[in-house]
Amino acid sequence: MSILKTLKFTKIDAGTVQVVDEMTVVPLVGENRGDLADPFSLKFERTSNYGSMVYTNTDNEKASIVPSNFMVRGPGAQDHAMTGSGIVFAKKTVTFNNACCIESSQGGYLSEKNNEYDILPIELRKRLLPIDMRNGKSFNKLWPDIEIWLRGLGVGNAAHLRYFYDNPSIKQSLEEFSAEFEPVSDQIGAVILFQDRIVGIEIMPSVSHWDAYWKLLIRGCYGAELLRLKRLKRIKPAQLQMPKFPEVVVDPDKLTAEVEKFTNGIRQDIINKLDLIKINKAKSMGIQKDLETVLIETETGGGGDLITQKDKPIYLSLVV
Amino acid sequence: MSGELGIIDSGILQFAPKGAYYETKDEQYKAVKKMWLNLFHYDRTLFGLLMVLNGTGFAKGAMTHILLSNPPDIYKEEKYGVGKLPAELDGLPAEFENQIIRYSLYKENPPRALKNLLMLTGSEGHEKVNNSRTRKLILEYIFNRDNKSLEYLAVNYKGKLQKLIKHALGKQDLRKLLGGNDYIFRKFVGRYNKDAFLVVCHIFNCYDLAEKRIYFSMLDNYNNLKKASEIGDVDKFRKYMKTLPIRTVMGMRNLYKVPIKKSELYEKTQLSNKDKIQMQEASKRSGAKVEVDYNKQDIYNLFKFLYFNIQNKKEDDLDKILKAIEKVQEKLPKINIGKCVVVMDASHSMMGSDERPMHPFLTGLSIISTLDNIEQVIYVGGETNDFYDNFVLPIPMNGTDLWRGLVKAVGTGSDNIVVISDGYENSVKGMFKHVYDHFKKSGYNFKLTHINPVFSATSSNGTGRRLTDDSKPLPVSDYKYLETEVIFSKLIEDKDMVKKLLIKKYQNLLQ
Repeated sequence: MSILKTLKFTKIDAGTVQVVDEMTVVPLVGENRGDLADPFSLKFERTSNYGSMVYTNTDNEKASIVPSNFMVRGPGAQDHAMTGSGIVFAKKTVTFNNACCIESSQGGYLSEKNNEYDILPIELRKRLLPIDMRNGKSFNKLWPDIEIWLRGLGVGNAAHLRYFYDNPSIKQSLEEFSAEFEPVSDQIGAVILFQDRIVGIEIMPSVSHWDAYWKLLIRGCYGAELLRLKRLKRIKPAQLQMPKFPEVVVDPDKLTAEVEKFTNGIRQDIINKLDLIKINKAKSMGIQKDLETVLIETETGGGGDLITQKDKPIYLSLVV
Repeated sequence: MSGELGIIDSGILQFAPKGAYYETKDEQYKAVKKMWLNLFHYDRTLFGLLMVLNGTGFAKGAMTHILLSNPPDIYKEEKYGVGKLPAELDGLPAEFENQIIRYSLYKENPPRALKNLLMLTGSEGHEKVNNSRTRKLILEYIFNRDNKSLEYLAVNYKGKLQKLIKHALGKQDLRKLLGGNDYIFRKFVGRYNKDAFLVVCHIFNCYDLAEKRIYFSMLDNYNNLKKASEIGDVDKFRKYMKTLPIRTVMGMRNLYKVPIKKSELYEKTQLSNKDKIQMQEASKRSGAKVEVDYNKQDIYNLFKFLYFNIQNKKEDDLDKILKAIEKVQEKLPKINIGKCVVVMDASHSMMGSDERPMHPFLTGLSIISTLDNIEQVIYVGGETNDFYDNFVLPIPMNGTDLWRGLVKAVGTGSDNIVVISDGYENSVKGMFKHVYDHFKKSGYNFKLTHINPVFSATSSNGTGRRLTDDSKPLPVSDYKYLETEVIFSKLIEDKDMVKKLLIKKYQNLLQ
């Protein structure tokens, strides 16, 4: 798994593939890495201004990570999303002033109550990769891109991302879609594909981090993007072509071997595809104590955040 | 009978207003309500007959509401000629509907039965309905019981009874009743229980009006407890609380801030076995020692306690729970569908929704407990947990490679395979069907029954969770409904046969 090797991720293996229609998820399994607080120690507190998201880490000793492009939608308030990942040290409250508003005409600040959480969809995450978008303190920086992203979906013309997530039929489709995929034992991440194209690589620091965030990724980020592409007819509906079993194979054990050969083939094919993802640039976004955030840029215009602790990679969120 | 039967499945009896992993409760309710009305208008008698089968309290309440809001007399002249009710055309007695309604109501425990009666007053999203049948049903349910049971009901469910009696009598007659009008008392209450006036006064907080025609000890203790609470007399509070239910005493303690420890309440008040289970954690936190008799529990609840204890690493009661599971399993009435091999989906989605954690998996385990003649159970997916005394238990986890279970089941040589799964397959989607088709084409002869332990209004009609083209999933969200589901699966194919079967069941039960 060359890109992971390049980024010095070790002791990670690919699990059994999960294929449902146009999306494939290859679970990445391995040991917990780094020394971070439990994900539930991290609390989203509020927005203190437009473009400012406030988080508290309630853990007494360890730092917390805010996942890349974490999105918060709340009642009667301007919804927000992070422009990248974030780090909050033990017992600290941090305000991220480079966050972006994701509704163009809604006032009010978010509180810690009654929110819905997701991760931004792939294309919008890509729009936030350039440094000026990432670091710029303009709260409305993502509005033009949201408007484009929503175009053609029939959910309204304004740059209101919640028009998409709140649409009843979309909401139901997303719920059903995310229910199709399931976490596996020791899972810390996943490689995600649309048909045969890798669209994302996600690695969390621990199994409990994956448990906490996998649904937000599968539903809010990858599921939302796939649903959009399907509705815009930019991706053809597809079903996996099943293997042709030799007619002679009627013995259950032999049949098991045939199916395993088939699914392992898919898995291996995806592992090989990881070799094709090349890193173009890696820019340090800052070192805080033993943690460093690096913004990765791939050759094909994708990218995302890598976080290392004591020079060892512990978190990766890459859209390809 | 009119029109086409249309889409119908056992969801009409299994519906409970709780969401599933994939659908909200509102979506489910709309779909089920449509089925209720569809069946009711198609064949009122069949609609009533189905109520003899096991179903959720909510579904029975809603079906009762439909029957009571549509007087059967309207059929007499319009459709069937003078003197004939729909049920009579099928050889059933004129009292058939009322018997079915009463049977359904009395099968429920008091809180659920009262909720079902409250549906008639407009609760749980229903329209108000008030006629001679509803009046009789409400008053008979409340008052037609012995004094002990009546005062227990009055102390525990005072507010609900107040609402029901008010609805049944109307303001005018209620005023007369509380004013001591003997004719009204005899007409509505006394005919069921001649001593009930004092209870009526208690329910409507008019205790002073009542003459003590007979001694109701619990009511008396309730009033004494209330007086003790009002003046903060802890000794007297202790004295009277002993005979009263925990909820009543706890309410009084909290309202009047009586300085008495919760642990004392848990130890010394009246706790039903169900109370003990439900309040187990709270009572333990308070430091009280409350003994629970697990042998009196339902198998589903026992599995629930087992998993709760394991997931929370509580070993104290595990041995007792495991023994109780064995004992209760032995006594369970079994359903024989012939010798079979069961493939049980233990993948992550069998964890269920936040509203009903682990429900599909626990239901699956309970279904396995009720099936007779199981040769082997094959778990697919899951994680095993053996933290307690080498006791290995599967916990829902991982993806769904359900095909693997099918291959193993076919490998046993069984010709009857039961798959218990929500039908969400991802490793890889469609492989189960592919393998199944291959076996069938290769000459393997076996019957496949797919039981879906997740209630979904679309689970049997939709195609999303169908595992094969020729095995329609049986949605069984409660193990008690397995028989119901088996009957429903035959309803579409042979309605007349099912109707005859239900008439027989009704005659055995109620005639």
